Amino acid sequence: MSVLEVATMPVRALAVLASEEACERVAGLGGACRIGPSEVMVLGDVSPGAVERAVGLSDPDGLVQDVSDGWTLHRLSGPAAREAFARLSELELPASGFVQGEVSSVGARIVAEGDRVDLIVPSMLAEHVRARIDDECRELLG
Amino acid sequence: MTERPASGATGQIRFEGREVSLHEGDTIASALFRAGVRTFSRSLKLHRRRGIYCGTGECPNCLVTVDDVPGSRSCITPALDGMTVRREGGWPSTERDALHVADRLHGLMPVGFLYKTFIHPRSAWPLAERVIRRATGLGPLPGGPADRRVARHLRTDVLVVGAGIAGLSAALEAAAGGRRVVLCEERAIGDGIAPGSTLERIRRLEARARTEPSIEILERHAALGLYEGPVVPLASDRALVQVHPGRLVLATGARERHAVFPGSDLPGVWLGRAAAAMSGLHGVPIGERVVVVATTAEGIEHIRTLARADGSIVAVVSPSMAGELDGDVETIVDARVLEARGRSRVREVVVRSGENSRTIACDALVLSLGTVPRDELARMAIDERVDVVGDAAGDRRCDANDADGIVCLCEDVSTRDLGRAWDEGFRSAEILKRYTTATMGPCQGAMCGLALECFARSMGAAGAAGSHRTTARPPLRPVALETLAASVHEIVDKRTGLHDAHLAAGARLDRSGGWLRPFGYGDRLEEYRAVRERVGLMDVGTLGKFLIAGRDATRLVDRVFATRVDDLRPGRSRYVIALDEGGYVVDDGLLCALGDGAFYLTSTTGGAERMDARLREWTDRFGLHVHLLDRTSELGAVLVAGPLARELLERVTSDRIDGGAIPYPGHGEVIVDSVPCRAVRSGFVGELAFELHHPRSRGPALWESLMRAGASFDIRPHGLDALETLRLEKGHVYLGQDSLPDDTPAKLGLGHAVAMGKPWFVGKSALERLSALPATRRLAGLAFDRAPNDVAELRGAPLMTDGDVVGRVTSAERSPVLDRAIGLGWIREDAASRAPDLRAGPAVARVVPTPFYDPEGSRVRA
Repeated sequence: MSVLEVATMPVRALAVLASEEACERVAGLGGACRIGPSEVMVLGDVSPGAVERAVGLSDPDGLVQDVSDGWTLHRLSGPAAREAFARLSELELPASGFVQGEVSSVGARIVAEGDRVDLIVPSMLAEHVRARIDDECRELLG
Repeated sequence: MTERPASGATGQIRFEGREVSLHEGDTIASALFRAGVRTFSRSLKLHRRRGIYCGTGECPNCLVTVDDVPGSRSCITPALDGMTVRREGGWPSTERDALHVADRLHGLMPVGFLYKTFIHPRSAWPLAERVIRRATGLGPLPGGPADRRVARHLRTDVLVVGAGIAGLSAALEAAAGGRRVVLCEERAIGDGIAPGSTLERIRRLEARARTEPSIEILERHAALGLYEGPVVPLASDRALVQVHPGRLVLATGARERHAVFPGSDLPGVWLGRAAAAMSGLHGVPIGERVVVVATTAEGIEHIRTLARADGSIVAVVSPSMAGELDGDVETIVDARVLEARGRSRVREVVVRSGENSRTIACDALVLSLGTVPRDELARMAIDERVDVVGDAAGDRRCDANDADGIVCLCEDVSTRDLGRAWDEGFRSAEILKRYTTATMGPCQGAMCGLALECFARSMGAAGAAGSHRTTARPPLRPVALETLAASVHEIVDKRTGLHDAHLAAGARLDRSGGWLRPFGYGDRLEEYRAVRERVGLMDVGTLGKFLIAGRDATRLVDRVFATRVDDLRPGRSRYVIALDEGGYVVDDGLLCALGDGAFYLTSTTGGAERMDARLREWTDRFGLHVHLLDRTSELGAVLVAGPLARELLERVTSDRIDGGAIPYPGHGEVIVDSVPCRAVRSGFVGELAFELHHPRSRGPALWESLMRAGASFDIRPHGLDALETLRLEKGHVYLGQDSLPDDTPAKLGLGHAVAMGKPWFVGKSALERLSALPATRRLAGLAFDRAPNDVAELRGAPLMTDGDVVGRVTSAERSPVLDRAIGLGWIREDAASRAPDLRAGPAVARVVPTPFYDPEGSRVRA
């Protein structure tokens, strides 16, 4: 097995635009990433209904929108996953958790966990990022 | 000549047609020196011979071309089996250089000679430049594509630059305090240091550092500079590492003082560390009779090293050091070197002790005159806090010295040159530097920086805050351009979900508005005809697409757009324009009213990011409750256009799409062959048209379904080229192509999209002010006669009448349906009415009303 594996796959994503209180409530659901003031992205198999209920409890004007098609997941895994990430971005990766910023000149959302780094990038730029991963990490990919 | 491999040899390098054997631990310089090479380069201007001098990668003397890479520092580059090495400079060769005559003519070529000599006549310079470039330089760049380099970012608590005693100690101390440490060193740790107490201490510290897990050691990584952050880029021969440290410790050490006296740059004149390494480390004696000038304890250690291997030694030492040496070494106390003499290398040295001068025959002169801190990195710090430790924190002192000699080894600037420049009025270190180019060569002042500073100080030069030091700038070390470029990837192309479908259909893709888009599929005219006569498809997924919701969504769009929007009922849409605060048109789009006071907005392909920023800015400025979601990446869109568009769609949807259900301009939700779409009526191409906005992942299925259903209509996909003709026939304006930055709506013929009756919108007050001014020019439709076959030649052509330029063509196409050349262009208001015919290049242009095609718009409303 090589030190780095890269897999590209769809991702389930919900955009939540709502009051701070509602965002806080959503953050408790798991898979929630704080994007900015009054904005949360919920990743993974979280039921939209559950999110809508959580938002609705605090903010009836809040917006929950399935944006899965807008995002594509590149998963870096293996012992060199973090090294690979350092070739693509100057962001500091947490040991575990969410961070956002530029990856190969593309605004990305990143979830790191041990030897796994998930790059969630706009689908319209997914091929660009994948090409940069394959090029920058050529010898890590084996 | 081929040498037999000597004992301990580890391979061979190829040097100017011969093989040179390698010994364990050889640098390129040590291997060449062992093989008898004494002249390593020719100096830039005067073609003086240069031999190994600093031995630490600081000076320009030993730069050679290694495997076609010029400017390699042979004294610190490990020699590897199979390398090809050659010297640069000199004609016909470095060894026998006819251009050495330049040295004799030095008096005739004072500083500034080139500037002054070849400036008249100006036409002579290009020729002179070619000759000068051939006679100088470090060698040609390698041809062909550059090797791949890797760039990466590295975050750490502490970065220690320099792994000498101070650096290793600092790294160990930081690690003991629980910090993550990166320790970088330009060479391998301990490399190039002759055996002795210093090296032993380094090895002991190194052993501890290597077993410390929190210290990451990066050898052969040179620090290039210090940037805001702080960020310190490190370059190796394969990679660029951008280190982001929490704390920065500079342990860059000190370099040996460069000496300036007549002949001080002759081959055979060594700085102490270079001589000690050659003799003590590589085992090559530097001479049979060696004069060593030593003023420090380090110098005494060098004498001991040299005494072990070299021939007889004459030590010239300061009084305090006199007792340090044993009887075997001939010692002269408290003397000063006046001159080194010799033709191709040093043969004798003149020293003065008190009133007495003495000439000593020798074949090597070693200078160990103390050190100058390597503090360039520290001087680059502005707000960044850096800790400077060890010799790097030492003093810089000036020696009284008025001897003539080469100050700047890189650029051949002598003490006399500095004096002349001073007399010409260049009276500070910074402008002396610019005029003489001292400190501006490959070593960037590592050798001569102190001498220039001391010269300026001694002359009483004006220096800011008493400083006579020139600015330190990156890169501190020679670095390949491909290394610097390793992290730069500016081109970011967006793709729609239909990218692969376009490729399969043989599309010609190119860049437009940040996207890769089809410009055509092979037959532009047929693509056009499909839309005008039958039905065509176009990928318009590149449009900016926004959901605007929240309690104040209507308030936001009412203020951001000049167009009236508060009366827009759900299911209807409207062309809207956005102005800046100066009243100029900056963006346009199509606004669709959804239920619940929300809107779906499309913007131009290239303007999506601008639109997003504008909407967010005005939301914030007014403190509005708006949820803005950019759906550009998430949604695809396909334009189905042509007189048969509805017929086609009826084959793939069971939803109502007649003019009652989805009127023009309006929109509605439909399921097209199981793909949920928002169908938006569009007027851009001038035919019955629906944009089908759909989930990106369903795009290929939708496209395939439409192509299949349209086969019996001879449906075709079309690209941007056909679109250009289609939209121009309708007289639609491309903002950016047909507009200028200071275009008001009226100038563009977009007055109908402005609702001056609204209480407020961005740019309204500016429009009111501007409306009082007479109109000076406007965008007009143009019909051309006698147009060239390639009508595109008319784009950009000035519009002329009576010899005056009164306008400019912005768009021009041949219209198949009108069978003539048409266009848009700027024209001065006075000329538009006065001149019936205008010249546009070879063609004659007439101002005509737009749209050119279907002016009533009945086809769009079908």
